[in-house]
Amino acid sequence: YLMSGQASHPQANGNMGNFSSGDGQVHENPEWEKARQALASINKSQSSAKTAQAGQFQPAVTDSAAIQQQQQQQPQQYYPWYQQTQQHYPGYTYPYNYYYPVGPPPPVPGMEDQSTGYPSQSQPPPPATPQQPQSPTTSEKPPPPPPPPIPPPPNSQYPPPPSQNAYSANNSMQYPHGDPNQMQAYNHSQGRPNYGQGFQAQHTYQPSQNTSQQPGQYVPGLGRGEANKNKNQKQGQQLWHRMKQAPGTSSVKFNIHKRPYQVQCSSMSNQSFPPGEQPSGLNPTPSSPSSASAAPGGAQTRPQDWPQAMKEYVQRCFTACETEEDKDRTEKVLKEVLQDRLKDGSAYTIDWTHEPLPELKVKQSRWESVASQRSSDGSISRGGSAVVASPRGRGGAHRLGHYRNIFSQRSPSSSSSRSSSRSPSPSHGRNRDRSNQRHRRSDSGSQSDSSISSDLRPQLSRRSQRGGRGRGNDRDRGRGGGVRGRGRGGKANRGRRNMDDSNPAVGKKRKGGNAGLDFHDPNREAKKQSRAARFHKQLRSEPLVLSINSLDLPDGTQEGLSWEDCPIVGTCQDITKSYLRLTCAPDPSTVRPVHVLRKSLQAVKIHWKTHHDYTYACEQMKSIRQDLTVQGVRTDFTVEVYECHARIALEKGDHEEFNQCQTQLKALYKDNPSENIGEFTAYRLLYYIFTKNSGDLTTELVYLTPALRADVCVAHALALRAAWALGNYRRFFKLYKEAPRMASYLIDKFVERERKVALRAIAKTFRPDLPVQYVQSNLGFSCLDSCMAFLTGLGVTFYPCDPQKIDCKTSTAALAAS
Amino acid sequence: MAHITINQYLQQVYDAIDNHDGSFCAELLSFKHPHVANPRLQLASPEEKCQQLLEPPYDEMVAAHLRCTYAVSNHDFVEAYKFQTLVAEQQLQKKGKGQPGEMLEKAAEQLMSCFRVCASDNRAGIEDSKKWGMMFLSNQLFKIYFKINKLHLCKPLIRAIDSSNLKNDYSPAQKVTYKYYVGRKAMFDSDFKPAEEFLSYAFHHCHGSSQKNKRMILIYLLPVKMLLGHMPTHQLLRKYDLMQFADVTKSVSEGNLLLLNEALSKHETFFIRCGIFLILEKLKIITYRNLFKKVYLLLRTHQLPLDAFLVSLKMMQLDDVDIDEVQCILANLIYMGHIKGYISHQHQKLVVSKQNPFPPLSSVS
Repeated sequence: YLMSGQASHPQANGNMGNFSSGDGQVHENPEWEKARQALASINKSQSSAKTAQAGQFQPAVTDSAAIQQQQQQQPQQYYPWYQQTQQHYPGYTYPYNYYYPVGPPPPVPGMEDQSTGYPSQSQPPPPATPQQPQSPTTSEKPPPPPPPPIPPPPNSQYPPPPSQNAYSANNSMQYPHGDPNQMQAYNHSQGRPNYGQGFQAQHTYQPSQNTSQQPGQYVPGLGRGEANKNKNQKQGQQLWHRMKQAPGTSSVKFNIHKRPYQVQCSSMSNQSFPPGEQPSGLNPTPSSPSSASAAPGGAQTRPQDWPQAMKEYVQRCFTACETEEDKDRTEKVLKEVLQDRLKDGSAYTIDWTHEPLPELKVKQSRWESVASQRSSDGSISRGGSAVVASPRGRGGAHRLGHYRNIFSQRSPSSSSSRSSSRSPSPSHGRNRDRSNQRHRRSDSGSQSDSSISSDLRPQLSRRSQRGGRGRGNDRDRGRGGGVRGRGRGGKANRGRRNMDDSNPAVGKKRKGGNAGLDFHDPNREAKKQSRAARFHKQLRSEPLVLSINSLDLPDGTQEGLSWEDCPIVGTCQDITKSYLRLTCAPDPSTVRPVHVLRKSLQAVKIHWKTHHDYTYACEQMKSIRQDLTVQGVRTDFTVEVYECHARIALEKGDHEEFNQCQTQLKALYKDNPSENIGEFTAYRLLYYIFTKNSGDLTTELVYLTPALRADVCVAHALALRAAWALGNYRRFFKLYKEAPRMASYLIDKFVERERKVALRAIAKTFRPDLPVQYVQSNLGFSCLDSCMAFLTGLGVTFYPCDPQKIDCKTSTAALAAS
Repeated sequence: MAHITINQYLQQVYDAIDNHDGSFCAELLSFKHPHVANPRLQLASPEEKCQQLLEPPYDEMVAAHLRCTYAVSNHDFVEAYKFQTLVAEQQLQKKGKGQPGEMLEKAAEQLMSCFRVCASDNRAGIEDSKKWGMMFLSNQLFKIYFKINKLHLCKPLIRAIDSSNLKNDYSPAQKVTYKYYVGRKAMFDSDFKPAEEFLSYAFHHCHGSSQKNKRMILIYLLPVKMLLGHMPTHQLLRKYDLMQFADVTKSVSEGNLLLLNEALSKHETFFIRCGIFLILEKLKIITYRNLFKKVYLLLRTHQLPLDAFLVSLKMMQLDDVDIDEVQCILANLIYMGHIKGYISHQHQKLVVSKQNPFPPLSSVS
């Protein structure tokens, strides 16, 4: 593999060099803005010029079905690619991918071009570089599992994508050229078999070269940007073809290709955005290589016709993508959306500048759904053996793709590659159709490609399965280098393990993507510029609108859930009603209006006084509270209900209900001051003493107004608190006996606790003895008997001679132990 | 800075974001920074510019901020508030309605999730481990928890930091903040010894120029120190503008219960807002002890009639005190170890130890 990989690389490099030479003049990667501007201008000119071309091409494409097919085919092509790449990964070592693309020009001239292009060279626009790698690798390598094409692509991908985006204008250019591209693509496809045999690298490269040349030829009239675009497109197409071929091809090249691939993807997306293709491509339906070629054609026609705003919109979409995953997703989405728009003509009426970016909407959910579709499609469509193998790969890729999404941003690129790989498998019905169409247009090679690819694919998939896991991991690590890369790789690996064997390959791709990210660093300048470029069109498809309302929206939605926003008025006339927890929207016919509730409350009070049936009272009170809540009634009557229920609950020691009422009362008192506010504030203070919550006590103190402090209940509670804080049991129990209203019910909850504490101090302090009477009076016992029961319960000992005297010394030990 | 153009400003913001210069970025979004007075930045509709230069969500934040400066310049403070809260976005925006702690709790949730991420970062090397973020995040969480009275939530954080092998290697600033909160927590848990330790560390290691922080630390350190028998000097209180404590200090050391009650009620609001009122209240016990020690010194006997204590308390204008309460107070002092001795109920006398009947406060746990 290594050998083949190297060989392929040189070739690829050579191809790249060709491309770069042509493209290089046109664009410098770093200077995205310039490129963009150039593109923009070109696009305009192209658009005008191309329209004529488009007209020619369009006819073929015009049929929406044909276009769609083409689009679909493209994605399919992507799939095969992925598979190939995956395969390569297992077999291959990252280093190749990485080093070759990233590093300065390797030995081979072609390599040089690539390297230069990526880092900084003025070579053809970034897209070109990425494409180049892709094409060689994709076409030939896909088949061989060893090469880890993915890793390199990431690096290249990242930079390239922006370039592609920038080039998006190129789409129009591409279209005209698209035909030639297609032709080339076909040629490539024809060559595929060879690739699969082992020549892949060379073949692939050649195709790329051809494409590059062709674009140049076609392009000449167009500006540099156009040329670049054309090249990109061509490359992309070539790549696609190669991808298809890839199954048979060796893995080595793949590594390189991946980058290009990504680029291609982006370029593809740009070109074909409308592309329902992307989605379809992602879908398993393996279109024949022809599909790939066809796709460009379809894209061509459309892009030409596209309104400028739409092109810019597409650009924006892609520039907004940070990860390859994003791009893939965007691709799909855009294809669908734009297709629809173009179909119904709304593309020309929509205000694209304000169109929201699709990515945001779609994201994972879509991705997943797409993946699932793909997997299913792949399995179904690819009945053939070769086909079957590829489907697995696809399926795995999809799955992996999901994982990628989850774990790494880069996954998108991988997904795109996958789609391409799929497309290559031509055996399927859809693919065949597409391929046929393609043939009509350009060549028949697509069919042959498909067959070949199918044959090769199984091998590839096997390879990938074998080596995928281990190799993939290694690659990832090597590429990633950084912690991130590793982390992702690890995750990806996990995912792979879970998945079928094919999955590992996918994981590798992801890793590769990650590695790509890391690579970017060298191209910082370019990166920055691309970023800046992005910012111009950028991000918010809808202009940013500051609205305070947006702030309120979340609140509004939340409050929408509260009862106040959807008031209902009950019609039920029953005075009593059993309590049922609401599980759905209340029915007014079962809700009692306030005037009925007043009667209900009276009835409950009377019933309580006469029967003291707490279960009944509590249920009735709860149903009254529920009816009030449901109707959003927060009035004095509500306060009365809660106070009443709180008192009943307190009397019966029902903490839960009491606290619920207290919480509600606290909120209700803000709007409905009641004369009982002091009483319930005091209860709250006492409750904090019970829970020993000094923090809440302090906050409660903060909010005590002087008027409240003067309230009898509050003053008592405060005094009790002070006595409690200092352990002044004498005063504490004096206050306990003087407790106003129902405070003693609350104090009862912790009286025992305080008595114990006090008794310990007492036992330790008094010597030699202490009359029980003292304890009884100081600890608030109502009678001597209860005091004795308490004392004996704690193990207090008495003097045998005088049972009325406590033996403090011995009791101290007993109390300390208790 | 005050006269930069909108583009320069946005470029600065962009650079700050790009360079991960969070503090500078914060300044650029702060209202304490002079740029808010720059009329060139006071735009009615800065959205477009921001959108061009910045990525979301920064464009929205900056646009909201600029719009806010515009609103302020027009004295439309309500709108200004709304926009600045938009800047603060998500967690920090406040709701007029609802629970005051609601947004804080949401913020705490977010921070907690960050904290978990940091705490579970076991893979990275020490030098770039996310664990370095643990203390900062826990400090922020402490701040919230103290505000919303959820002190019990601090425990897991403290445990996590304590078990961290990095706990001694965090930056001094973070450690000071951390100790400050942990000390406060210990204080509210009535663990005064550790509280003194933590707060003292914070006070001693707090940067000398951070007078405000030192004062904040002192607000909690002083009560703890006093409970443990260390009274602050007048100079210290003056230096840090904490004269509210002056009378408290004086009354406690003199055993002047009357003055203490006056001092506490006089500055009650301040103490309550600082959350130390309940702690200072416990100084009454120390004051009792000091008062009773005076009685003991006056009577020069080991058998002290309870009436003598009653008289002393009455002198402090505690008119509703009876002999039972005197016994109760003495019982608590004896129980807590402030007085060595016992009460003879039969003889109504306090019998104190002949050796060191009033042990120094610092020796009493």
